[in-house]
Amino acid sequence: MKPKQLLLISTCLSVFGSAAVLAHNPVFSPGPHVLFKEGVEAHAGILQSKAGEKTRSELGLELTYGLTGNWSAGVEMPYIDNENGSNKADGAGDTRLFTKYRFWRKDSLGLQESAAVLLSVMSSNGDDQTNPPLGSGTTDMLLGFSYGYESLKWYRWTSTRYRRNDENNIGLRRGDKWFTDFVVGYRPTFPVYLKPDTVWLLELNGERGQRNEQSGTALVSSGGTEWFISPGIFWTYRNFAIKAGVQLPIISDLNGIQNKSDYRTKLEFEWHL
Amino acid sequence: MKKSILLMAIALIWSTTLFAAGTQYSLRVDGLACPFCAYGIEKKFKKTSGVDSVDFDLEKGLVIVKVGEGIKLSEAQLSQLISDAGFTIRSMTETPLL
Repeated sequence: MKPKQLLLISTCLSVFGSAAVLAHNPVFSPGPHVLFKEGVEAHAGILQSKAGEKTRSELGLELTYGLTGNWSAGVEMPYIDNENGSNKADGAGDTRLFTKYRFWRKDSLGLQESAAVLLSVMSSNGDDQTNPPLGSGTTDMLLGFSYGYESLKWYRWTSTRYRRNDENNIGLRRGDKWFTDFVVGYRPTFPVYLKPDTVWLLELNGERGQRNEQSGTALVSSGGTEWFISPGIFWTYRNFAIKAGVQLPIISDLNGIQNKSDYRTKLEFEWHL
Repeated sequence: MKKSILLMAIALIWSTTLFAAGTQYSLRVDGLACPFCAYGIEKKFKKTSGVDSVDFDLEKGLVIVKVGEGIKLSEAQLSQLISDAGFTIRSMTETPLL
């Protein structure tokens, strides 16, 4: 695989290779909320990113199951449409398995504070030989922690995640990546069950990636830091939710010569069955 | 006179039990911060045999469950249902429905 292809994978997977976002959580980062025991969540999401000539769209279908009232697990299967200049490829991306365990919870009247750990495994089933590639060619892992304060009027979340990338069969290894997120949310209208509910969100998302390596040698034009400001909305009615948001870069400190992110958008639909 | 009062009391008690239409459980639940989250409670109760309806007062943290005649839900059972939904039960009251 050529370094440019590796760079493209790295750029795209920095967005879409992170842990699946479940239920009542921010748009671009994970929260500690999990599904109720024996609950099933069906999720469909459309994600798009643009960086210079590179555009990537991903349709993700996800199923989550509530193992207990504090533990859920699921699978996500993405379909990807990737463009880089005149090159284009579309097809199945890397399947992701994920789990989240809420290990702490403090409930009071109209308020829930909680914290969770999360783990994702990204497989290598996506085709990494297309141009641009649809998959990473490696099995990677992501470990994270999330804290949330959810009340009838205000929300706040913070999370941190670490993605560990493996080396592919020709010695290319994407740099590991840290994600840091801070989110505030506001509900302008007091919620009533069986009436539509709206929460406005504002996220600050940071990403710091190590340089990619070819057979142990760091590649100059790879890795770096980006920060995004991300307004979003979370709308629900009983067991149905719509989440939408846009990530706008505010700080780009990328190594060497790389395309800075132009924007990222996300639209998601969730059903609790 | 005493006999009449006694007969009337027996008739009143008998009529109350005869026409009881079930029971209402009012549960004070902590952690209820959003309607989307509360659906898990509705789902758990609707799967429970004998439950007729589930309603919520989010401001007061109340879950109001109505069950049919002859159905009894224990405190342990109610606590487990709320816990499985991801919340904490604080207190409960039981009221016969007429």
